[in-house]
Amino acid sequence: MSAPATTPHDSHGHDAAHAEDGKFHIFVQIAMLLAFITGVEIILIYLPLPAWLLITALAILSLVKFLYVIFYFMHLKWDKVFCTILFFIGLILATGTVGALMAIFSVQDSVPVGDVYQQEP
Amino acid sequence: MSNHAATAAIDHHHDHTTTTGIPNKKLFMWAFLASDCMFFGALIATHLIYRLHPVPGSQEPQTFFSIELTSFSTFILLMSSLLMALAVNACQKGNVPAVRRMLLGTIFFGCIFLACQVYEFTHFVHLGLTLSSSMLGSTFYVLTGTHGCHVAIGVLWLVMMYVRTYKPHDGAKGSKRWPFSSLLHVLMIVTAIVFTTWTVLDATHAILEHGFTGEAFGAYLGHGLIPLIAAAVTLVGCRLMARSASKENFGEANAIDVESMGLYWHFVDVVWIVIFTVVYLLEYL
Repeated sequence: MSAPATTPHDSHGHDAAHAEDGKFHIFVQIAMLLAFITGVEIILIYLPLPAWLLITALAILSLVKFLYVIFYFMHLKWDKVFCTILFFIGLILATGTVGALMAIFSVQDSVPVGDVYQQEP
Repeated sequence: MSNHAATAAIDHHHDHTTTTGIPNKKLFMWAFLASDCMFFGALIATHLIYRLHPVPGSQEPQTFFSIELTSFSTFILLMSSLLMALAVNACQKGNVPAVRRMLLGTIFFGCIFLACQVYEFTHFVHLGLTLSSSMLGSTFYVLTGTHGCHVAIGVLWLVMMYVRTYKPHDGAKGSKRWPFSSLLHVLMIVTAIVFTTWTVLDATHAILEHGFTGEAFGAYLGHGLIPLIAAAVTLVGCRLMARSASKENFGEANAIDVESMGLYWHFVDVVWIVIFTVVYLLEYL
């Protein structure tokens, strides 16, 4: 087969091919990082630190893991930005729903009442 | 055409034939995952609300949760995500043998995760936590069980994709019996998974009851011999069916199928990242 003539499209294709080769190492490094973060999370819960600090730390570490998986393993970093927007619409709606429900059930009027809730623990 | 030239011919992140520039299969999967976010969001919110307002006298999860087992499950799912990403990468390079190895690895890790969940649920039920025993039981089993169902569907999808890699070209030897042989191959693998998991769980229970002794071996063989033989036979069957007779009709052009499946699998991992923190780790504070 003769060598194809070089065009801007081909050049882009060769760059993409090199990028695909580099991804293998990126994926392995990210997997190791995610495993390390998981280990840190497990150690954190045994540390005698204030609850608010631990909750914040766990939330941030989970968020970091979440973002690494969706942007690298799920290729959002390399895909068109529309995929990111589409997914984040669902994600923001879901987070908003969780936040709204938590807020609604935290106010005094939403605290469960009834005999079963009046018993001493 | 060389693999390198083939790689240059396909742009795996853009499709110029669609109006969005995104392959339709990928667009569909992202839309589905966005809707699945809301589904899991509702389940997580329900669990959190009832954990923040527990009925007095209800069970305390940290007394029966096993952080070691859950951490192991989390690690396994993370590693399965790595193998899935490598499978997509291999398919984009047209390396079919590597795709098969990575898919098998992902299936294996997915099955370990499911086996851990079956073990955990069985343990909890023996301790009195059932779907109807308390509000904690209801929200816990619905949330983690729904995630487990997603993993099981993912494993089935992986098995079907693995079998798909053996599809021969139209008109090639074996192409006429492909619908039947592929179905048989999928059934064989699923049966092998069920019996192997059954065997491992039986062995685990025997070791936990009797320790690493001859008594444990005897107790295991007493009621685990048939699943062990069935697992061995079906695994040999899977190995025999995995020999491709002709050049397969699978390659770089199928990368979008593997990638769509990968998106689903990674999403299952992402959901577990949230569940691991919210349902398990926060209970220990």
